[in-house]
Amino acid sequence: MKNGKPRKRGIIRFMGVVEAYDLVKKFGSVVAVDGVSFTVKEGEIYGILGPNGAGKTTTIRLTIGVLKPDRGEAYIMGYNVHKEPVKARSFIGVVPEVSNPYVDLTVWDNLMLVGGLYCLPRAIKVERAVSLLKTLGIYDVRNRKVRTLSKGMRRRLLVAMALIGDPDILFLDEPTSGLDVFSARVIKRLLLELKKHGKTIILTTHNIDEAGLLCDRVAVMSKGKIVASGTPEELKIRFGMYTRILVCFDREVDENSLRGYLEGLDIIVQGRRLIITCKTEDLNDILNRITVMVKHNSLRIRELQASGLSLEDVFVRLVKGV
Amino acid sequence: MVYDLKSSLQRVMVLCIKDMKLYYFKGPTIVMGLLMPLFLWLAFMIGAKLPLARGLLALIVISAFFTASSITPIVMPWETRQKTLEMILSKPVTIYTILFGTALASTLFGIFISFILIATGLLINLIPHNIVLLILGVPVASLCYSFMGLLFSAIPSDIPADAVLLSTVVRFPLIFISGIFIPIQKLPYYIRPLAYISPLTYFSDLIDNIYNYNSLLNPLVDLLILLILMVVFMVLALVVNKATLTKRL
Repeated sequence: MKNGKPRKRGIIRFMGVVEAYDLVKKFGSVVAVDGVSFTVKEGEIYGILGPNGAGKTTTIRLTIGVLKPDRGEAYIMGYNVHKEPVKARSFIGVVPEVSNPYVDLTVWDNLMLVGGLYCLPRAIKVERAVSLLKTLGIYDVRNRKVRTLSKGMRRRLLVAMALIGDPDILFLDEPTSGLDVFSARVIKRLLLELKKHGKTIILTTHNIDEAGLLCDRVAVMSKGKIVASGTPEELKIRFGMYTRILVCFDREVDENSLRGYLEGLDIIVQGRRLIITCKTEDLNDILNRITVMVKHNSLRIRELQASGLSLEDVFVRLVKGV
Repeated sequence: MVYDLKSSLQRVMVLCIKDMKLYYFKGPTIVMGLLMPLFLWLAFMIGAKLPLARGLLALIVISAFFTASSITPIVMPWETRQKTLEMILSKPVTIYTILFGTALASTLFGIFISFILIATGLLINLIPHNIVLLILGVPVASLCYSFMGLLFSAIPSDIPADAVLLSTVVRFPLIFISGIFIPIQKLPYYIRPLAYISPLTYFSDLIDNIYNYNSLLNPLVDLLILLILMVVFMVLALVVNKATLTKRL
């Protein structure tokens, strides 16, 4: 039970705690989100990964009901976010990318304000505020106006404001973007802690390492669409048919002189290093071509590595559509 | 249902307190809500050589009008600019909760200033003969003007000065045609119809009746018209603000 109301509704289609169906949003002639659907299960960390402008923030804003989609629907705990926004949003906490706390109020007043919007009794508001401020390392600045805080502290305050209602689901839009290492670490640690307590977390990021570290499942977005989804491991396996070969020569090499030998392949030349991404089944043929190339150019190989793709490689290939 | 209503009212109060803390001391509120009516009043007092008692009644009317409509136009543009609107909208509230909170903060400001002036009147023996009408009239008029101000906040801009300018353009002329300083009967015949569409006319007439038994209309009619105008402004303000909300986000 929460706020005296049942937490779940008995509807058949209720599969996950957050569901989005065929969300479409256009801004003028630009299609920001194009038919996005996803389901987030209870207790998981779900990452929406994509480059800037991929439509991640718009997807979050549509899912929490701040923006109205041109098409599609979103549900939180079975409540349609546009038809029953107050009920739906009583289950969530949101850390938006662009919005701010009230800069002319103190840290404490901001927390009390948000606690009031969740209709919390004063004693609970105070207890949670103290606990969150201490966990996030901003208890000492609780009586300072937000205007005087650093970006990292403001971000931590936004996280505290999102958590004061003890939401079941937490949405974070680029939670660590532009933060110093310490603030980013505090937030990441808190997210893992929240997961342990059974909270569902949905975050957007363009930081692949962050997604790989935190997320149980990832959706990769590009140009308003989800181009792949699964666990980070699944995505890597799905693209496991690709291998990355790193060759390090004894001297700098000219890309044009190598092109002839490696026609049709995805290559990057950086000084003495040559990086080739190829299908694993072509590995033998490519090694033969490298041998010929080395012979003809009187090169010596200092180092040779072949490895599967990292999540970053998968991301780049998906986003570039290669 | 009762639970929903109770929590909605609780949220309106929370947002009202936030607006009181943030906007009562903002520049546009002080200039347009306090200083402007005061200087206008002083100009008329000196220019028209009005007796103090008559002048104070005029000050009560224009202060209620300006103070109650001073906060509502600026909140939405200000919050859009500060990026706090989206933060609030991501909490369990609707746009209507936010607008009611703002309207309530603005109304309370109008009521507070009006009752300070009414109390000042008591010191110079300016005594209302109908306390009930006064206690009903001031809040209804303040609510009416507060929702009128809220209409101007619908302008989809993140510059508070845009809303202030628009509201001033509309509010300023009303002072001259609403029988506050110049009785309606003395206005040119072609302006008189405008006096009857001004929401200020009915509060001015009501205050005249409460203090001087001297009014154009029955005070209950004044009160009823103010109530109707309040509902009309409220509905319009909610509809237009909701319509322009998407342009703010």
